[in-house]
Formats: sequence, C-alpha cells, structure tokens
Amino acid sequence: MTLRFGYGTNGFANHRLRDALAVIADLGYRGVALTLDHDHLDPFGPDLARRTAEVASMLDRLGLAVVIETGARYLLDPWRKHAPTLLDDDPTLRVQFLRRAVRVGADLGAEAVSFWSGVPPAGVTGGPADPAGDATGAASATGGPADVSGGSAGPAGGPDGAKFWDRLVRGCAEIVEVAADLGVTLGFEPEPGMLVADIAGWRRLYEDLGSPPGFGITLDIGHCQCLEPLPVPDCVRAVADHLVNVQIDDMRRGVHEHLEFGTGEIDFPPVLRALAEVGYPGLVAVELPRHSHAAPSVAAHSIAFLHQASIAAGLTGAGQTTSLGCEMTTLDELRAAVPTQGWLGEALDRVAGDPTAIERLFPAAGRRCGRGPLPGVPGWRTDEAARALLLAALPADRVAAGAEVLYRHGDSAEKLAVLKALPLLPIGDEAVPLLRDAIRTNDTRLVAAALGPYARHLDDAAWRQAVLKCVFMGIPLSAVDGLDDRADAELATMLAGLVAERTAAGRDMAPDALALLDRLKGA
Amino acid sequence: MRIFDPHIHMTSRTTDDYERMAAAGVRAVVEPAFWLGQPRTNPGSFIDYFDSLVGWEPFRASQFGIRHHATIALNPKEANDPRCREVLPVLPRYLEKDGVVAVGEVGYDSMTPEEDEVFAAQLALAVEHELPVLVHTPHRDKARGTKRSLAVVAESGIDPGRVVIDHLNEVTVGLVRDTGCWLAFSIYPDTKMSPPRMVRILREYGTERMLVNSAADWGRSDPLLTRATADAMLAAGFTEDDVDQVMWRNPVQFYGQSGRLDLSDVAEKEASFAGNSILRGGG
Repeated sequence: MTLRFGYGTNGFANHRLRDALAVIADLGYRGVALTLDHDHLDPFGPDLARRTAEVASMLDRLGLAVVIETGARYLLDPWRKHAPTLLDDDPTLRVQFLRRAVRVGADLGAEAVSFWSGVPPAGVTGGPADPAGDATGAASATGGPADVSGGSAGPAGGPDGAKFWDRLVRGCAEIVEVAADLGVTLGFEPEPGMLVADIAGWRRLYEDLGSPPGFGITLDIGHCQCLEPLPVPDCVRAVADHLVNVQIDDMRRGVHEHLEFGTGEIDFPPVLRALAEVGYPGLVAVELPRHSHAAPSVAAHSIAFLHQASIAAGLTGAGQTTSLGCEMTTLDELRAAVPTQGWLGEALDRVAGDPTAIERLFPAAGRRCGRGPLPGVPGWRTDEAARALLLAALPADRVAAGAEVLYRHGDSAEKLAVLKALPLLPIGDEAVPLLRDAIRTNDTRLVAAALGPYARHLDDAAWRQAVLKCVFMGIPLSAVDGLDDRADAELATMLAGLVAERTAAGRDMAPDALALLDRLKGA
Repeated sequence: MRIFDPHIHMTSRTTDDYERMAAAGVRAVVEPAFWLGQPRTNPGSFIDYFDSLVGWEPFRASQFGIRHHATIALNPKEANDPRCREVLPVLPRYLEKDGVVAVGEVGYDSMTPEEDEVFAAQLALAVEHELPVLVHTPHRDKARGTKRSLAVVAESGIDPGRVVIDHLNEVTVGLVRDTGCWLAFSIYPDTKMSPPRMVRILREYGTERMLVNSAADWGRSDPLLTRATADAMLAAGFTEDDVDQVMWRNPVQFYGQSGRLDLSDVAEKEASFAGNSILRGGG
C-alpha cells in the first residue's frame, strides 16, 4: 500500500489558508492537518458555516483530505498560551472550542479531530510543566531527558493529580458525546509535558472513558522517539488498533523539539513500513509548527524526504515515482475516489458483460461523470479516472486492443485518459505505439501525458527525443516520470545543443531544463 | 462584447485569424464539418478531418482563449459521391463526442435523390444521438431548396426548435420565420449577407431565434464580420442587450440543446472595465 502524506497548516502560519492549501496541494501532499486558528478558519469568527463551506470547496478542488488540529496557541486567551485547557478551573472556553472543532470537522468531512489534555500546574505530573516551552512542539533551551521523562500522571499524581485527571475525563467524555452525535472520529494526542504525555497515559484515559469507539489516538512519530520506552516502529504497532491520526517529524531522545527530517535521530523507513504493515489508512501529516518562516521550502524538502523514505521502505518502487515525488496512482485509489454509484457503476457492469459497449460509454464519461479534479488523487480528473476504470473493466485479453481503439477513435480528452491509464493496465508494452503517436502530435497535453510512468517502455532514443520535445514546446519537465533516473550523458549533449542554439538566437532556455543540464554535468 | 460565431471553418484559417477574433471579442466558435474545396475520395479522408475537428482544432483555438465545438455530418455536395457515402456508418462514433454539439452541415446542394437520402438518414441520426441539426441551404435554386429542406425536416419528426436553417437571405427568411426552426445568416462577402443588410433583416424580423455567423472558410471571407455586424447593430440603434442576444445568448441556447456545450471560463458576462479593453486589444 502507499501512505498518504499531509502537511500541518500550523507550519504555514504566515500564509493565508487558501494559499497554504494551494502550496501544499501543489507540492503533491494529499491532505492537510488544519489547525483552527485566528487566521485559519477562526472558529469564533463570524459566518463560520459559510467560511467552512468555502474551505470544504477549496479542499475538494485541490483534492486534499483533512484532519482538524486544535493546538492553536493564543486562540482562546491572548495572554496565556493554550489556556484554558480541560484541566482549568473553568474549562468552558476550551470545551466550547472543541465542540466547534468537532462541528467544523463534521462539515469538512475530516478524517479525525485531534486534541490533547493540556499542561497541569507545575508539580502535578512529577515532571516540569511544558518542559520544552511549547507543548505542541518546540525547542527548549532547557531541553534534556529529565524534562520529559515524567510520563503521564494519571490518577496517581497525588490529590491534585486526581483532581486534574477527573477534569480531563469529564471534559473528554463531553467531547466524545458530541463527536459521536456527529459521527466524527476523535484522535487524542499524548504530548510531552502534558497530563497525558505518552501512550500509556492515553490507554488509561481510554479505559477511564469506558473505551468509547470514536476515541482513537493521534500519534506524533517524533514524540515516540522523544519519550516512549519502545522503538518508534513498535509504538506504531502497539497502538495500531486505535490509530486515527499520525503526525510526523524528526526528534531527538529526551528533547521535545520538532525537527526537519534528517536532523534528528529517527530512522524513517522502518516507521513508514510499520504504518503500511498495520494498514493505517489515515493521513501522515508533517508537523513542523516552528518552520512557518520558510514553509514552502520546508514542505517541499519534507515530501521529497518522505517519498525517498517510502521507496527505501519498499512501499513504492523507484520506477513508480514521478519526478514530483508523487506515488503512482493505483486503480484501487481511483475506484475509491470516483463515485461508482449511478451511471458509472452501470457502465462498468455493462462493459464487463459486453466489451463492445465501451465504445459508446467511453466518450460519454466526461459529460456523465464530470471533468473536475478528482478529490484525493492529485493530477487526475474525474472523467479520466472514470475512463481508466472503464478500460480496466474490460476482460484482460481485450484491454490492449480496447485501449488502442479508444485512443485512435478518441477526442483529445479520451486520448489523454487512455495515456494516463496505460501504466495501470495489464498490457505490458503493447501500447507503446500509442505513446509514439502522442509524442508525434503538437498537442502539449498529449505529449506530457505520454511521458508518465508508462514511458519506461519507450526505448532510450525515443525517450530522449520526447524529453527534448518537452523543452522545445515549453512543457514543464515535472511531467516526465523518473526524469533524473533515466536522464543520461546523451540527453545532456542534446540539451547542450539546444542551449547553444537558443543562446545564438538570443532566446531563453527554460530554467528546469538548465537545472537538469547542470545536474547531468555534475553527475 | 462577447461573440459566439456559430458557423466558421477554422481549419482553413490561420493563427492570425484566431488572434484577431479573440481581440474582437470572439470567445466561442462552432465549426461545422463541410467540404474542403478539394473533393475527397474515400472515408479515411473524412475520418482524419473529423478527428481534427474534435482534437487538434479545439487545442489550437484554446491557445487563443477561444472555445471550439464542432458539428459532424457528411456534407450535401459529397453525399453525391458513392466513395464518400461510405463514411455514414462512421458518423455515430463522432456524434457521441463531447465536443460535437450538432449534426451538420446537412441539407441540399443540387437536390439529387442521393442528397435526399443522406439528408433524411442524418436527421434520423440527430434524433438518435439527441443532437440539434444545422441545415445548409443551397447556393443555387435557394428558395426551392429552402422549402424542400423545411419539408424534409417536418417529415423527419424532429422538433423544429432543434433545427437551424442556415445561409438565409431577404428572399428565404420569410419562409422559415414561422416554422419554429432557428434562422441563421452568414455574413460573407459577395455571395451571402452583408452587415447593413443583416441589420435591416433584424429590424424587420426581430432578434429572437436569429443567429449570425461569418461562415469564414477557405474562400474569400472574413472572420471578423460577426463583430462588424454587431457594431452595425449598435450604430443602427440596437441595444447592447440585443447584440448580446444575437451574438451570444442565441447560439448558446441553440447549441446548448445538445447538453454538451462547455463554456466554462469563457462564458461570464464581460466586465465593464478592464476585460473589455484587453479583449479588444486596445481597439
């Protein structure tokens, strides 16, 4: 299986929400962890329902899944970070906030709404309160193993400990009820320095709540490295049955500081493998709330790292990775994303029964299923996905011939859909003539689509010519699947020739082509 | 001003035309399949032409911000050639395409029995594929050709509201006005209508169910005559709303009956400030 990566909007605090979502989607993330905050869908601002609907439509358009996070720092109290929490003498505002968060989560179709316990007054947990200076993730000058070794207090924290624990259980029970009414899944996050700081604390809370079905765990991978007794992959396995939300970041043992990947101690491929092995279906969202100042670049590096780690974990083959780093889409993902009730469902049944029926159904798929972006599957439109599924519904021995006829007889949209479907179909290299046809055209969309993952079947000479044609036609090289894996010295020579011609003519060369040439020269 | 040219053969035009059309306010076109000047000799020649009408030409138009749709048919002139009639069995494939918004051009050239047969067969295809029909009226013997076309249309049982009779003039407009069919006029140098004559017809017969096209093709013709006619309407006292009705809303309504007209991104009513001057290219 492939994991779905997301990014936390608390790492885009200096972006308008709409801009943050667009950047996150453009980078190839498939979801967001949306921290409700003063400037990001403020749950206390006017017209919440309308603004929520707007965000829902943005997410839909961008194909982003969503989880709701509630760790905003000064949303409820301009003076005291995170206050009030469920542990306060008067937690009303926190409860009200969480109720709204659950409602927003329901309206956005969020996969989970995440929250935490809060930091009890010093002395209660047996460890210092909020040792890192920021319980939701930050550096601390005083950070050290002792800071976070206290673990969760639970009822055993003395008389005050019991009082806070009762408050937490009462507050959680109220939110559990609200969430159950709205069918929203809750993810409760152990947070170093808070009353519930680790997995053991979550388990006690879960039991004291009566093991309610909608109450899962939000697991921050960095936190596991920071303070859990088990190795990180084992933490994943230990909570697999309750895992509803995952945050991911690097961290060092004993220091609650959310770090960019590769700058902490975590070995990520085994962690990703564990998530895949337990069949975790949710988002794995990057949690770097102190990196907003460089958000786009940090987010770009992060997804590249995660995709490399996925490949190292054996979750996706290197050849199946696009140059943007997105995993290759699978038919199952398309099936899950396209509504197959109604017209498409009937069409698929008809094609399975009578393969010739596809000739009339395939052209109609655009007007029947719509042509908008496919939610949750970046780079695919609904009509393309519907057409790919129609092709896949043909009997296996008819697929190659069907793809050829539908391409030859297709209008541009149908041809595009066939080209995009090729790598997903059981046809070996039989459809290479279609790629050659598409590459001969002067239609930039067809040329770009011909250079997807199926282009691995093209011989090297044809592939190089096609890449050069992209540069010539102004097609971004991000369209070329596996570009860096396959680009060679011969392509460098050809690119250099084009650069010479352009220079002689006083014309510009596309920056992505120059960058490729640089990489090839450097290799 | 937004203009929808409901009949223009862009295959025969250059990118300069696309540029000037976009600058003049043309945002959408329909390109009917017709003959190419040079007679075809086999069905494969049609197939490549039809493929271009649903593939390459819409892409070319899109480079200039113009939405391109097509109508597909075996034209009346070539219906007389048995080698060309072999394309009839291939038509259903194209009549299912998203970019095909009508059957056409059908009708008469020389009013032969072969033309009768092919015309009737294609009206039946229109009913089967739930598409409107674009009927070409002949250059020669036009009045009788128009009457005979109307009779064949009536006989076919198709809703006249889904039929447009094209290339009308002062002599034939009255024959069609009360039939329930749509009326189309080609503003085309020498052989068809001119902007001032078109304005006189609109004044006499009103703007309802009226379409104005350039029918520009490989002959001596001008893709900007839609705009010239719109300007002539304004100069003659028609309102901007009248112009919008004839030049945009009427063709949208007629071809919209196909259920396949896709004008997303180009349809919005023109803004009264910046967009205007940009579209006119400062003119």
